[in-house]
Amino acid sequence: MKYYFLFSWRNLWRNKRRTLLATSSIFFAVLLTVLFAALNYGQDDDTMRMSVSLSTGYLQIQEKGYWDERSLEKSFEVRDGVLGMVRSFPRITLANPRIESVALVSYGTETRISPVIGIDPETENRMTGLKKRIVKGSYLNDSSQGILIAEGLADRLHLSVGDSIVLFSQGYQGATAAEQLAIAGILHFPVPKMNDAMVYLSLPKAQTFFNANRRVTSIALMVDDPRKVHAVQSSLSQKLDPDLVLINWEEMLPEVVQAIQANDAGSLLTFGVFYVVIAFGVFGTIMMMTIERTREFGLLISLGMKRGRLFLVTTLEAVLISMVGAIAGLAVSIPVVFYFHHHPIHIWGDLAKAYESYGMEPIMSVNADASLFYSQTIIVFIIALIASLYPLFVIRKLRPVSALQGRNGKK
Amino acid sequence: MIMKTLTLLTTILTVFSNFVYAQNAKEILQKAIDLMYGKKTYSVITMTITKPAWSRTVSMKAWSIEPDYSIVYITEPARDKGSVTLKRKNEVWNWLPSVQKTIKIPPSMMLAAWMGSDFTNDDLVRQSSIVNDYRHSLLGKESFGGYECYKIELVPKPEAGVVWGKIITWITEKGYMQLKEEFYDEDGVLVRTMLGSKPKMFDGHLLPSYSEMIPHDKPGNKTSFETKELDFDVNISPEFFSIQNMSRIR
Repeated sequence: MKYYFLFSWRNLWRNKRRTLLATSSIFFAVLLTVLFAALNYGQDDDTMRMSVSLSTGYLQIQEKGYWDERSLEKSFEVRDGVLGMVRSFPRITLANPRIESVALVSYGTETRISPVIGIDPETENRMTGLKKRIVKGSYLNDSSQGILIAEGLADRLHLSVGDSIVLFSQGYQGATAAEQLAIAGILHFPVPKMNDAMVYLSLPKAQTFFNANRRVTSIALMVDDPRKVHAVQSSLSQKLDPDLVLINWEEMLPEVVQAIQANDAGSLLTFGVFYVVIAFGVFGTIMMMTIERTREFGLLISLGMKRGRLFLVTTLEAVLISMVGAIAGLAVSIPVVFYFHHHPIHIWGDLAKAYESYGMEPIMSVNADASLFYSQTIIVFIIALIASLYPLFVIRKLRPVSALQGRNGKK
Repeated sequence: MIMKTLTLLTTILTVFSNFVYAQNAKEILQKAIDLMYGKKTYSVITMTITKPAWSRTVSMKAWSIEPDYSIVYITEPARDKGSVTLKRKNEVWNWLPSVQKTIKIPPSMMLAAWMGSDFTNDDLVRQSSIVNDYRHSLLGKESFGGYECYKIELVPKPEAGVVWGKIITWITEKGYMQLKEEFYDEDGVLVRTMLGSKPKMFDGHLLPSYSEMIPHDKPGNKTSFETKELDFDVNISPEFFSIQNMSRIR
């Protein structure tokens, strides 16, 4: 066995340029697919992170049944120390209590129906960057009596900062909730659905309004590493009251999961094209090499070399070339991917403006999951290996005489 | 031959008797409706809302001219005292004393619960008439709550804009009181039951003084009404049910 290996090794070094050519085609294939995968999954990460931080958070603590009913009747009382416990829980970076319901917003003779959210102004801003959206007036603080109202809604009701509107709703346990409130600030949202509807109150104010002292409908949680969401979910849910549940963003935002799946399905096609191109590239190189070596193979066979042994030697060569190419590709792609993972690519121009208007950082993230490296490397390695088996096919059909006569081993 | 004739005869008889029954069923319903229809009433009612985790009692005074006009003034609990709901044809208005404002309930809120009860705003104003929008058939007679009752099935006419797939109602033979109503959806599933009981003489009219609504899709929920006082022929006209009057009544 050692001799076969030695034989293959010498064959490879006999024509360095040929070996280098084959190896580099595999090297670039690995580099390309790894980078493409890193960008693609990076985009998925961006979609998820943006959607999650603008709306639900990675996880939410809710009363059992709240998510299906969305009613104040399914709100829960925040017991002393619960927020502190959650905030100091490993991996949790932020815990954002909210009380959400709907109310009629009335000014003059106009009345609209709006989602009303009671927020802890400081925490909400850290999570969603709400303060940046103020276009007129000022943001809330804990003791604010005023409300924030979305721009589109303000326009429809012909409102501006300082005007008083009436909020009318049904509070906790059917109590009538009606109050006159002054507008503290006007918010602009790029999403029309939000821009035409949203109303925010400070959490204490909202709790008084809804007759729901100390109650919230959810506590949204952010974690430091999105990949650890499920782990945090299972360990934290054991610490919660049995009446409460912890649900993750995938359950709350199925449309985001679908968007990510759609993106992945689209890139699967791109990957497919990539793999075909790579396969033909490698195959072309190997075929050229084989044709070049027909005379050599013919000579060896006429000298009495068993075809089986020749198979073994050429297979070993193929494995070596593929392995070296794949490992080199991997070795180069790792630092490149990690560099861009830590220094995300900044987008510029109109696209950047579009990102910013949605409250997103204008960056393209690069995913650096270990699985991405080995899966792409293994796929390309296998493709290369299959393409490199072409010589076996040639050797089997080879007729030494015609090969030696330089007729490509054909009859 | 004889068999054939007999079959034919039976068929004719069945169709005919159905026709007669249908007439009867409609008349019975009409009589039940007429107990309240067009009457100018004043009432004092206590509503109890029961939910799995809590219950709440709301007391109110109500003026109405069935079926188009009513005005409800909340007297209890203290937090809601003075709130007024006005129903005028298919519109619902609210007077909010704490902010001195009248709000018309927009269409998008019509399916929201009224005062936290199992009734929606839409239930208050639904215009469908159980006499005109349904085909009626008398299913037979049945004893219910100690009364001999007609059991009538109502199936909506195709052109009627009705949310129910079917209604079955029990009306007493004497006095035409509606003691039970079962509401089924299009799939034939029982969605809610209305029950009437404890008949009392109110101003010369015998009517159930206690009624409850049980929504079957929400286990543990119930809304009941107890009529404490009911006067007929009070001195009101449709003009009484005005937006301006909401803030004046006591």
